[in-house]
Amino acid sequence: MQNGYSGKFLQVDLTDGVCSDFTIKEERLKKFIGGSSLAASLYLERFDLHANPLSAENPLMLMNGPMVGSGFPGSSRFAMAAKSPQTGIWGEAACGGNFGPELKRAGYDGVVITGKSPRPVILSINNNQAEISSAADCWGTDIYETTDLLKAADKNIKVMAIGQAGENLVKFSSIGNDKAHYIGRTGLGAVMGSKNLKAITARGNQAPGKVNEEKYKKTFKAAISEIKDSAFAESLHLMGSDAIMDLGMMNGDVPIKNWSIGEDFELSSKLSGPTLTETYLTKAHACSNCPVACKRVVAVKDGPYQTEEGPGPEYETCCSFGTMIMNSDLAAVIKANELCNRYGMDTISAGATIAVAMDLYEKGIISAGAADHLDLAWGNMETVIVLLGKIARREGFGDILANGSISAATHFGANALDYVAHVKGLDLPMHDPRGYHGMGLAYMMSNRGACHLQHAAMGMEQGMVSWPQLFEMKEDYDGKTSQGKAQMVFDSENYGILGNSLSLCHYVLYCLKPETVRDAFNAITGYNFAFKDLLECGARDWTLKRGINNLLGITVKDDVLPKKILTALREGAGADSVPNMKLLRDEYYTIRGLTPGGMVRQEKLLELGLPELKEKLYK
Amino acid sequence: MATYNAFTQEWLDAWKQKIAESQEYKEIAKDWEGSVALICNADPPKNVPKPVYLFTDYWHGDVRDFLVCDGAKTQTGNFIMTGDYARWKQIAKKELDATKALMQGKLKLKGDLTYVVRNVKTVNKVIDLLTEVNTVWPDDV
Repeated sequence: MQNGYSGKFLQVDLTDGVCSDFTIKEERLKKFIGGSSLAASLYLERFDLHANPLSAENPLMLMNGPMVGSGFPGSSRFAMAAKSPQTGIWGEAACGGNFGPELKRAGYDGVVITGKSPRPVILSINNNQAEISSAADCWGTDIYETTDLLKAADKNIKVMAIGQAGENLVKFSSIGNDKAHYIGRTGLGAVMGSKNLKAITARGNQAPGKVNEEKYKKTFKAAISEIKDSAFAESLHLMGSDAIMDLGMMNGDVPIKNWSIGEDFELSSKLSGPTLTETYLTKAHACSNCPVACKRVVAVKDGPYQTEEGPGPEYETCCSFGTMIMNSDLAAVIKANELCNRYGMDTISAGATIAVAMDLYEKGIISAGAADHLDLAWGNMETVIVLLGKIARREGFGDILANGSISAATHFGANALDYVAHVKGLDLPMHDPRGYHGMGLAYMMSNRGACHLQHAAMGMEQGMVSWPQLFEMKEDYDGKTSQGKAQMVFDSENYGILGNSLSLCHYVLYCLKPETVRDAFNAITGYNFAFKDLLECGARDWTLKRGINNLLGITVKDDVLPKKILTALREGAGADSVPNMKLLRDEYYTIRGLTPGGMVRQEKLLELGLPELKEKLYK
Repeated sequence: MATYNAFTQEWLDAWKQKIAESQEYKEIAKDWEGSVALICNADPPKNVPKPVYLFTDYWHGDVRDFLVCDGAKTQTGNFIMTGDYARWKQIAKKELDATKALMQGKLKLKGDLTYVVRNVKTVNKVIDLLTEVNTVWPDDV
């Protein structure tokens, strides 16, 4: 194919061990583009939404977008999706690295995996051929070991693997791409584990074509120039995503001590991007074809938390294993990050769950005996290191935490659920809505549960971007205001979601002019999308996933912020400020076309070309 | 209360005095070392007929030279920040956060960005103190 797409998808039935190809009509590709958007459209059409997330009937989908493999900056992303075992609703996650482009070169735009293998297996995709083979040598090993084992035969293959956490169905388990990039959120590693699928490998050499090479070259050049000119890109290159820690502490963005403290500059200065750069950074690393190179490679050479040189923590991890649990030892954060990578666990939910446990231990709701006599005092990283292994292996107290923060809190009773900060079952990412009310609404309305990447609210509300050519927006939003934020979040979703369907990194999206993104997309696909067409695709994506969630029982009762966030802080930039949940939600519902009960209106479904969803929702 | 015309030496002196008198600044900026040159691009319709060059120097909580200078002097600054007149005015009036202006590409920084990020509180405090100087802007005359 010459329009960015490979032209075919792979269907894998693990129960029968059968692989086959299928195609999707261009009309549908134009509506959903790719990534998690296309996955949601297949999910609605072909699968039983009410299947148990860990059953053979729940499909695991891996989807590229048309820009993947084009060489365009930031176009290495791909999405995975399934009904989430962590939340019980639509689940998805995306990551960069090099698996997406390699899958495209191997001839596929995506893979849909169903069934359950009777024994552990590996799915190998090599130049239009797919093969299922035994994973007997890998099962029980961690992600780093599995990746090394699989690459021993061919170092050029790209690997997606689960660790022990995925095998043991830990509810927040992840899937790792070549050790460095993770499908982290919503527990999709457990879906892979439930299918006895240890790893997927890809190898190919068919470069996808572009419809208009000349136009593409021009937009590529513009993109490189815009990235070179971007202070945001420079900060990412120099300090990684943790560059925002210092600024975030000043603006009330950073969660501290399980969302109970508003400011601690000493803590942030020890965990921030500049500190990481000056201490443990060995080099920067880039996803396929990305000039930003925001990924950190680190090594801890001395002390109790030594690690080999490997992938370093993102901002989110520096919070979840740093500020959230009152740990100021960056080496210990790096160690916890490495363990999560190896076992295959989402660092946000793993850290958040441990933070809840520490909070409950301090309040006397978890006793020493219940915690296997581990000392769960705030900041005790020796305990955290032990606990991560117990969670991954589901041992004792670790088994309780392995089911996630809500399940653990429910297990311990009393008012333990008040200490869990989640929306729709997904632990909040590390951005405090009391400093940024728009982020609070974005958490409330994200279709996979509390999320900072299903939209561009952070970029807009925190002033990292300015896109007046797309929609009316302010250059300098007041974070602590709820008024008018609904429109901002709505717009930020419609554009930000495109990152996931085009498969374009959000950081790169923030650095580029929207016209450069649009022109590159059009040059690759040969389409002639205007901004309004792209934004409509974004709106369709959001609405489709909301409709799926409606079918799974999501209503207005679920679009709420947790008690932790509705409790005002005493100090810091977010002090004495909580999002006005009702105002935000009411305004948003009107703009988005939802009924007061939170259902997608019939006319909105028809307006966005989703008649099949209307049939299912309003039959 | 005295008022000062923006971009004049008197205006810079008033700003310098505000910073020097701030105990909070002294504490926040105790680790800061280095000069910051500010360049305001010409904007004739706004009564800024030619570029404005300013040089400000800070050292461990103290303030040193604050000068209206020429282009050559600005190139000796540890940090050089360049922007359009309208942007500088927005920033000085706190209508636009300086960090946001930088990230949105409305201000350009030459210098060690890591150092600026680590010391973002210092940067913001210096701008906060500028808002306390009663300023008459060229296009307000």
